[in-house]
Amino acid sequence: MSLLAVFAAASLTAVFPGIDRAPRFQFGGSDQLAFQIRQGAPADVFASASPKYAQQLHARGLCSKPKVFATNTLVLIVPRANAAHIRSVYDLRRRGIKLVVGAPGVPIGDYTRTLLARLHLRSALSNVVSNETDVKLVVAKVALGEADAGFVYRTDVKPAGKRVIQLALPATVQPTVKYELCIPTKRKHSQLAARFVREVLSRRGRAALKAAGFGLP
Amino acid sequence: MRAAFAVIAALALAFLALPVVAIFLRVSPATLVRELGDPVARDALVVSLRTSALAQLLVVVLGTPTAYMLATRRFRGRSVLLTLVELPLVLPPAVAGIGLLAAFGRSGLLSTSLAFTQSAVVLAVSFVAAPFYVRTAVAAFESIDETLVAAARTLGARPWRVFARIALPLAASGLGAGLALSFARGLGEFGATIMFAGSLQRVTQTLPLGIYAEFAQSFDVALAMGALLVAFSFTLLLGVKWLRSDWISPSRFAPSVSS
Repeated sequence: MSLLAVFAAASLTAVFPGIDRAPRFQFGGSDQLAFQIRQGAPADVFASASPKYAQQLHARGLCSKPKVFATNTLVLIVPRANAAHIRSVYDLRRRGIKLVVGAPGVPIGDYTRTLLARLHLRSALSNVVSNETDVKLVVAKVALGEADAGFVYRTDVKPAGKRVIQLALPATVQPTVKYELCIPTKRKHSQLAARFVREVLSRRGRAALKAAGFGLP
Repeated sequence: MRAAFAVIAALALAFLALPVVAIFLRVSPATLVRELGDPVARDALVVSLRTSALAQLLVVVLGTPTAYMLATRRFRGRSVLLTLVELPLVLPPAVAGIGLLAAFGRSGLLSTSLAFTQSAVVLAVSFVAAPFYVRTAVAAFESIDETLVAAARTLGARPWRVFARIALPLAASGLGAGLALSFARGLGEFGATIMFAGSLQRVTQTLPLGIYAEFAQSFDVALAMGALLVAFSFTLLLGVKWLRSDWISPSRFAPSVSS
């Protein structure tokens, strides 16, 4: 087992171990991971679901210049049974719908709010029953059938298997979702870290990302 | 040897005190007080107090007769029931969370639509906090001098009267201590709540959930909520010490745990 510690956005949970099984992974909300790195958590690689957090660390001199390595799009998911009969994103305006989203400040939460604003659907936010701290928790609450709908990344749908159905969203309202990698400074394993970053950016890494549904820069 | 023990004790106490003290030293008291005015902190306080009050009401109303029954009757399976009551004490809150979802979730055993409501918070808090009350209440009822009960019976008191006029007053300080412990534990409930009730400001976001939501966003607000919980819990535990000192010695409490 490698000593390398990779802190990565929750939405990379299914794809990163396929690119390199060796590192110890910690998946979570990018904002929380960045916070932990600022507090001195031993991360050798940081993969953020939003440029914001990698750039903030870089600006403070806490990590190398971030590189974009993937893009993503948002979808609306509903439980397979779809008891609330949601056929389109506009059904989210209906009263009594239980909508689960990412919390403000968490990448998926901010992207969701941008998207709803572009759809002139901010009113749907009054149906939010929980603000989750990372995207996998949004998926879990919809997959369990406890929530009627949730906004997640396109790449989260396949790992959720048959438990959810996705409803596509118009391309014109999609926010720009960019994933960035950077190498935290003052760590011992910077060579191993650089190798992991190269692996992700390699042809094999790109193929794995593409197979998982990510876009490539 | 005395010096060595004193050094070890000092180290251990410093270790326990440090994180608590650090919460108060990281920013000025003025900042802590100001950040408590933040809407997230204020709303979380209201949700916490409201759900805790309801949960403790539930715990006392259902827990007191249960504890009395467990304390006064001897029957087959009693130790199994006592263990069941104690189980949430040692269960990880995450287990409580999936348990509550499996029982009360939409596709759970009872298939309710409680998830994401304030009632879900009340259930989660009651589940994890109740053992603190019931366990202490059983011990308090058990410690009542049996001759007093026997005397009341001989004088013709019905069981209900014995409970209301003899057992309750004699166990009162023990029940109070149990309630304070249960209240303190309930205020800190996190894992089961976030899984079963989610986290939404003004509805289900209690102080611990507020801290979790804010720590990466605005650390000072999280600190202020933390300081508030520390102050609450410290006061409650101190109150328990005071109640216990005139109720029962720890050495009498200990054996009944394994009975």
